[in-house]
Parts: sequence; C-alpha cells; structure tokens
Amino acid sequence: MSGDDRRVAIALTIVGVALAALGTVGLPAFYESFLYIIFSWIALATSWALLSGYAGYFSFGHGAFFGAGMYTTATLTTRFNVPFLWTLLAAGVLAAALGAGIGAVVFRVKRLRGELFGLLTLAITFVLGTIVLNTRIDGGPGVFLSAVPLPRLLASPTGTLYLLGLALALATVGAAYAIGRSRLGFGLFAIHDDEDVAEVEGVPTFRYKLVAFALSAGIAGVAGGIHAMYVGYVTVGETFSITVPLYVVLMSVLGGARHWLGPAVGATLIASSLYAFTGGQQAVLGRAAVALVLVLVILILPEGVVPAILRRRRPSMPAVEPAPALESHDAVAGEPAATAPAAALVAHDVWKAFGGIQALRGVSLQVGPGEIVGLVGPNGSGKTTLINVISGHYQTDRGRIALGEVTLSTRPAHEVAGLGVSRTYQIPRPFVHLSALDNVALAATFGAARCSPGQARAEARRWLEFTGLRRRASALPHELNLHERKFLELARALAGQPRVILLDEVLSGLNPGEIASAIGLIRQIQARGVAILFVEHLLRAVLALSDRLVVLNEGEVIATGSPHEAMRAARVVEVYLGTPHVA
Amino acid sequence: MLLEVRHLSIAYGDAPAVWDATLQVAAGEIVSVIGPNGAGKSTLVNAIAGLHGARSGELRLDGVDLNAVAPHLVCRQGIALVPEGRRLFTRMSVEENLEMGCYRREARRARQDTLDRVYRLFPILRERRRQLAGSLSGGQQQMVAIGRGLMAQPRLLLLDEPSLGLAPTIVEQMFGIIRAIHAEGVAILLVEQNVPQALDIADRAYVLEEGRVVADGPPSILRQQSRIQQAYLGVRDGDDVNR
Amino acid sequence: MPSLTLLGQALVSGVLAGGIYGLLALGLSLSWGLLRLVNLAHFALALLGAYLTYQLGTALHLSPWLAAAVIVPAFFLLGCGLHAVFAYFRVTEFTSLLVTFGLTVILESLIQWFWTADYRRYETPYATASLRVGPLFIPTLEMLACLTAAVLALATWAWLRFSYVGKALRASAEDPAMAAAFGVNHRRQAFLLSGVSAAYAGVAGAFIALISTLAPAQIWAWVGVVFAVVIIGGLANPIGALLAGLLIGVSESLTMAVVTPAWAPLVSFSVLIVLLIARPGRV
Repeated sequence: MSGDDRRVAIALTIVGVALAALGTVGLPAFYESFLYIIFSWIALATSWALLSGYAGYFSFGHGAFFGAGMYTTATLTTRFNVPFLWTLLAAGVLAAALGAGIGAVVFRVKRLRGELFGLLTLAITFVLGTIVLNTRIDGGPGVFLSAVPLPRLLASPTGTLYLLGLALALATVGAAYAIGRSRLGFGLFAIHDDEDVAEVEGVPTFRYKLVAFALSAGIAGVAGGIHAMYVGYVTVGETFSITVPLYVVLMSVLGGARHWLGPAVGATLIASSLYAFTGGQQAVLGRAAVALVLVLVILILPEGVVPAILRRRRPSMPAVEPAPALESHDAVAGEPAATAPAAALVAHDVWKAFGGIQALRGVSLQVGPGEIVGLVGPNGSGKTTLINVISGHYQTDRGRIALGEVTLSTRPAHEVAGLGVSRTYQIPRPFVHLSALDNVALAATFGAARCSPGQARAEARRWLEFTGLRRRASALPHELNLHERKFLELARALAGQPRVILLDEVLSGLNPGEIASAIGLIRQIQARGVAILFVEHLLRAVLALSDRLVVLNEGEVIATGSPHEAMRAARVVEVYLGTPHVA
Repeated sequence: MLLEVRHLSIAYGDAPAVWDATLQVAAGEIVSVIGPNGAGKSTLVNAIAGLHGARSGELRLDGVDLNAVAPHLVCRQGIALVPEGRRLFTRMSVEENLEMGCYRREARRARQDTLDRVYRLFPILRERRRQLAGSLSGGQQQMVAIGRGLMAQPRLLLLDEPSLGLAPTIVEQMFGIIRAIHAEGVAILLVEQNVPQALDIADRAYVLEEGRVVADGPPSILRQQSRIQQAYLGVRDGDDVNR
Repeated sequence: MPSLTLLGQALVSGVLAGGIYGLLALGLSLSWGLLRLVNLAHFALALLGAYLTYQLGTALHLSPWLAAAVIVPAFFLLGCGLHAVFAYFRVTEFTSLLVTFGLTVILESLIQWFWTADYRRYETPYATASLRVGPLFIPTLEMLACLTAAVLALATWAWLRFSYVGKALRASAEDPAMAAAFGVNHRRQAFLLSGVSAAYAGVAGAFIALISTLAPAQIWAWVGVVFAVVIIGGLANPIGALLAGLLIGVSESLTMAVVTPAWAPLVSFSVLIVLLIARPGRV
C-alpha cells in the first residue's frame, strides 16, 4: 500500500471507530437519527458517483435501485420471514442484477450517452415504481415493517441502524477510494473524458461501465434495505419519487463527482442543511436554497467544491510556457519489458461504406516490422477511415486485417489495442482531466504492455522523456501548446509497447524545427522494430521518411512502391495535377 | 481593388494555419489560390468570409475593415461563400437552401429574380426544388451550394474546392458555370486542388504552401515554375514529372 | 370487456389528454430541437403559469383569457431572460439538463411556498360545461385546450416552414456557422426561440389551471410522458409533437379503461425506453 493509501485507510478507520463508539455510548435519538440519515445519503451519493461521477454517465435512476432494495427487504421480511440481515444481502444482489441487466442492454447502444442516458434511467425509476405498485409486491397500501425483528447490535433499534448505516457509508467511501486508484477507476476516468479514445487505448469500456453500474446499484440496494427498516412503513409514492435521484446528483455535483470524497462532503452539507429545515414551510425554502446552490455550483464551479479546494493548494502552472528546449533524443536507457514478437500488419481487400458513401474500396497494404509506409492521397481519399478501421474504431464491411497471424478486424477496439496496435489522432485527443503523465500511463496500463500501476507510471515517465516532455509530466493537456500535445499523443501511442503505430498527420501545425525533431523521433521508433503507417500531407517529410508509399484516391489504392516511383506514376500525377500538363 | 488581404495571420487555438498572407482581388477578376492539402487555403477563405477570426493583419473589402465586422454581418458587405464540402442545410429543400442565400434584407427583395437566374443557370435544380438537399448527388449539391452563394447577390464570390469529390465530366460543367458567373461581373476567389482548371480559368493565381504565399502571378508564368510541381508531387527540381 | 360507450369515452378523454400533452411538448420540442438545450424547467414554468392564472382569477377576478393575455407575454420575457443566463455561462446541452433540474426544484419550492401543498381548484363557470355527442361527453374546456394545441402546432409548423425566421431557425440548428455566413444572427434567434417556448408553457399553464386540480408535485407527473412525446414526435417537429401526444394520450386512456388505471404511466415510460434504445440515429 502506498503512503497515500495508508493515510486514507487510517483516517477512515479512526473516523469509523470514533463514530461507532459514539453510537455505543448512546446518543440522544435525534442525533442518532440525524447521523444515520447522513450516513445513508453518503452511501447513496458515493455509490451514484461510481458510474456517474467517474465515468460521466449521469444516471437519474438511482432511485430505482434504492427502491428495489427497500422493497426486497420489505417483502422478504414481512412475507417470507427472512432475517433482516440476510435481506440486506438479497437487496444488494437484486439491485446489482437489475443494474447489470439494464447496463447490458443500454451500454451496447452507442448513442445512449449524455442526456439520453439520463432520461432513460429516469424513466426506469417510474416504470419500476408502477410495477411495484400494481403487483402483489405492494399493491397500493404500502408495507409495514414494524413487526419485523431487528438484530440487537446496540441498545436501541435506531442504534443498530446507525451502525449499519455507518458501516455501509464507510465501506462505500473506501470502495470509491480504492476504485479511484485501481485499473477500473483509471479506465472509468478515461471513459469520462473520451470514451472512444479510451476504447482505442485498450480500456474494455463496456465491461467497466457494467461493473461500475452494477456495483453502484448494489450499494443503493443495500442502503434501501436498511432504510426500509428505518422508516418502518414503505410506500411506492415515497420510495420511487424524484427525491433520491435528484438529491444524489445534487450532492455529488456540489462536492465534486469525480473525487472519492466529493459526494460524501456534498451529502453531509446538503443533508445537514435539509435536516435543519425540517417541517412546514421552512423545509420548502430549504429545498429551494439547496437547488439554488446546485445551479450556482454547476454554473460557476462545474467541477465541484472539493476539487476547487484542492486546486487552490496545487501550485499553479503558468498558462503558456515557452517551448522547453528540446531534449536530446538519445536512445532511451534500459530496454522496456518485451512483449510479443514483431509482426507485419496486413490489410487485405478492405471495404467500408458510410451510408451511401463508399469510403474504402478493396484496400490492401502491408507494413513490415521496422518499415515506414507513407499513406498519401487527396482530401477525402479515405486515409483516416483506413486508420480508424485498422485500429478497430470502425468495423470493416468486407476484408481482413491481421497482425501477423492474428486477425484484428473481428475484434473490438480495446482488444486490437491490447494486441499491439496504437494510433495518434490528427487533432490531438488527450484525456482532458488527466495529467500528461496519466495520459501516457493509461496507455501503458491498458495497451499491449499491460503494466501494473507502479510500472505504468515509470513507463510513462520514460516515454515522456523520449518525446521531450519530462518537465511537463504533471501538466494538464489544456496547459500544453500544440507541439506538446502532439508529442503527448506520440508518447501515449508508444507507451503501450505497440508493434504497429498508425500516425495520422502528426506533423501538421508544427514549425520546421519541431518537424525535424518529430522526424528524429519517428526514426528512433522505427529502429526498435515497430511497423509504422504514416499519413501526412507534408510531402517532403513523407518522401524523406518512407520506405514505401501507398497512394489512395477515392478509397482505392492507385499506386504503391518506393516514394519517387509512386509519385511519378501516371495515375498519381493525374490525380494531383489533373491531366498531365504540358509545360 | 475590391478585396485586400495584407499580412493576414490565422490560427486555430495556438496552431498557426496561415502566416502573413497577402493577396488582392480586383472587381470582376477571377483569382485562384492553389496549393497542397493542409496548406491553409480553406482557413484563408473561411477567414475572409467571417467564419473564423484572424489573429493579425488587414482584411478589407472596398476599404471596409472586415476584421471589425461581426460574422453574421459580413455577407452584407457583398461576400458570399461556397464552402468546402458544400455544407448545405441537408434537412431543408433545395429551394429553401437557395432562399437562405438571400436571407439578408437587401437581397431578399430581389428574391424572385435571382431565383429565376439561378434556375436558368442550373435547370435541374428547378426540377428538384422541393427535394431535400441532402438527397441530391454530389454534383447537384455543388450546384445548390453555388446557387445559394449567388442568391446573396455578392460582389465577391468565394469558392472553396468546388470540384472536390466530383466526376471529371461534372467538373468540366462546374468550371463552365464559374465562367458564366464571372461573365456577369462577379469577382471570384477560387480555391482549388485541381491545378490545371484553376490556372486555366484565372486571371491571376497565388500559390499557398504551408500557410504562406510562396508565389503569385499570371497563370502562364506560374505554370513554368517547378514550384508547382514540387508542391504537389514533392519531386525535386530537375526531376522529370511527365510520364 | 368494457362497453363500447366506455371505450368511446376513453378514446375521447385520451384525445383530450393528448392535446394537453402536445401543448406541453410543443415548447420543449422547439427548444430542444432548435437550440440543443434540454429545458426540464419547462414543466415548472407551465405549472407556474397555471398557478398564476388561478391567482389572477381568484384574487383579482381576471377572466382566464385576460390572465393569459398578461401571463403569456410575461413568460416570453422570462424565456428570454433564462436564455440570457444560459448564454452568459455558456451552458452546454448536458449542463442544461442539470441546471434546469435545479431550476425546476426552485420553482416547485417557490410555488409551494406561496400556494402551499394544498390542492387548488380554479372554479370557473365553464368547468362543468360539456358537449354531448351521442352517448359521449366532451368537456368544453378540454376540447378548447385540444383545439388550441392543434392550432398552435399548425401555426408553429407553418411559421417554421414558410417564414424567413423559421427557415433561419432550422438552418441555424443544423449549421450555425453557415447560417451566420448568410446573415442569420444566431444569438437573436436563440432569444426569440426561448421566449416563444416559454410563452407556450404559459399557454399550457392557463389551460391546466382551468382543467386540472393544482398541486406542486404535478410537475413530475408530466416529465416522463412529455419527454416521451417529444422524442416520439421528433425534435423540432410541432405536428409530430401533437400527434405523438394524441397517441400517448389515447393509449394511456385505453389502458386505463381496459386494465387497471394504475398501469397507465407504464405506457408512456415504456414507449420512451423502447424508443430510446431502438431508434436509429440521433433523436
């Protein structure tokens, strides 16, 4: 465990023991209740943030899982006389299964992000509520739990619930912290910033979202089970209302949805202020005040309170730094972990259409290890499409793409990345909330190298050094200039220890000095035996670097061969200059 | 001088796209801008049309400083853009697209007349006037885009890669139409990948390479320059480019 | 199996209810489709309009039509004001959902503070009037609401289709930069649209005051249904919104007649869910 981990674990333990002791000693019922409510909201808000905060999929349906948990406990205890604590387990499992089921369907559909996902989850809450209301689960009159025996952990019934609530809250916050530091968390943060790029860098996005959603739902379910006992009388109207979905969003956004402690802070603040406003007209104004705070926070502090505080303590980076003197690019010291043997990239008869437009027509090419193949052609000839298809971002309509013996074209993008294919983007797409170091470390974690977290950071530092960005490791992407962002793209592409790199216009926008630097880097990459496919408009550079050239026009390969041969082929001249012009 | 561009620099965020560009278009002239992909031609044209701001330099139409004019007011000065990739309003009909061309109040009055002229120039559009613009072929869409530009009754028409993605016969047609438009007295700034056509039609031409104007002059002179061959094919001086 | 008369009456109530859904969906469909902002507060605005109509009617004895004449223009300005805030803070499509979520709660709380959570009923002489067509009863007020919805939907459609402003709005929604290149002032259009959308909420509110019993929590009852209507009808499609409203209203009503009433909400939400998952391309 790292120093940070140890400190957090100790802090949580101390807080937990202190609060538990408080409960054992015996608090007045009002305070026990008050604290229980806060624990419950902490668990709910933090669990919500596992998917919605970390990965950015804002769910408005947390109430559905909470309600499912409440009714599971209510039904099992009253109708089947299952001991209360066992029902909590059932509640968690059922809610998690519900979450997993919904996720399995919804996460497959690419368009269902952002507000559509929010609407969908909102609808699910109401559907579930209606079902519960109309079947024997509730049927209308609600469920009374007052007769259900409660295990006596403490002197009073509220005391027991207090302890259970405390345990759940601690466990959830601890889980949020642990996940935030794990591969899962890393992947979720990347998904938040740019899901498509995360997938291409090797993050198994579908699986991770599903796990986060199921976990989040499960915890909400357990919270619901406990709460059923607390209120003693469960009705559909109170359970499947807008309150839970609304408040968890408010609390997490206020505190900072991306930080493990954010939702807990937000929950404490909001639950306390609401409790202070109990009863009558005051409660109403309290709600309005809370909502006003939410609106202001979203408008002014879109990241939340906790990150705003943390930012104040972080030494600020100057907005624009003069480009650091390009460091010498000697061969990187020490050989990195060896991965699979070098192999050739082969594309055979690849076809791809979008709607009515045939973007690729039977494109075939090959790139051997240590070879640099230039891919050129007029605008709209299909160069970027080809790269997207090879990296797995799009599926081919027809044809096969393989790396050595392994077929790539049938696999999802994250698997393709895992097999050793990396790419850069024409317009750099870094993960905007991750530092330069973390951007590169992500690729090291999820790419072919499959590094452990510690290894990944070391690898990341090595590649940042290679591209001259060592001093910018802790900078955020928006603090980097274009040249640095392009080189960050390059470092990220390299960190996965790829066997094939697809470079999409990596030189555009750079000045001649930077171009020379980049060319030097590319040669070094070539020297390590990586196969490079290199799209570029800067013909001088392409011709200087390429071993072979492939010329595309309107989705077809019209010439291949050595650079000069290819460019002089009649067809190519015709395409670029029109019918050969007699001077 | 109708259009005066002096030492214009344009950037996307911090990525410079055009450095120190200087060019002119006189009333009634056709001027071509040629250069390889990524040279900054579209950026330049978009800046002139007001779609994108310039970082520094002068941009004047008939003396009026365009840098100080809000984007939606640029067309009032008499500039119309036929953008790269056409950028039609695909969910609107052909005729509605054309009508959007004369949205500005002064042009709206002459709507029917201008519409008739455009339909005379492009008879097939009259047939398809109620069709959704997104459902037309590439060549027809290009006609709509040009028509839309003409509806604005511009003094200066900016054409960005009108031949992109079109079959050679359609391209011939397109350039014939550009000549016809020119004959009516409209000044034209043409950006083109298709160098021979671009040079044939132009009174003068500029060569843009990596964001800078590297050559200009009458087409006859430019054609002689190996610069052009270099820019497009990357072959060095002295290489034989033909066959 | 219920009688034909019962079914017929259910059909009638369904159509009438659908009219109100359509009326509510109209404003939302416009702003979401053309401005790309999700305005959850639309419902709260409508309810506010309802309460204001009620208040002006009971306290100042203004006839509902006079009240509407005051409220609708006021709401237009309110809509413009709301957009000014959005524009100033550069609110995106997704942030707009959160911000308006918050606004909804604020409005709901304010409504509850002024008018308490007690049910309010605006008693007017027309409340009990109804038309008799054969064995079926058609309440006049609701019919009027439905007709207004139809008229507004058609008028909006015509406005978008035939007027220059309407065309500019559609062009701007698709490619704001190109529309600007031909003279369309996107900012001004956005204010106009926001205002119109809010004004429609005001109109819906006036009818809601006349027809239903008012309670602050009403807001949430509509959210799911109306979003379903907007999505089914297609964004920025006024006629579509009306037809979708009718569709949902009728299917809910028939469900209520044939099965138990409590299953009704299931219909709209389920349709919404299915559509969100199955419908190809951007909504």
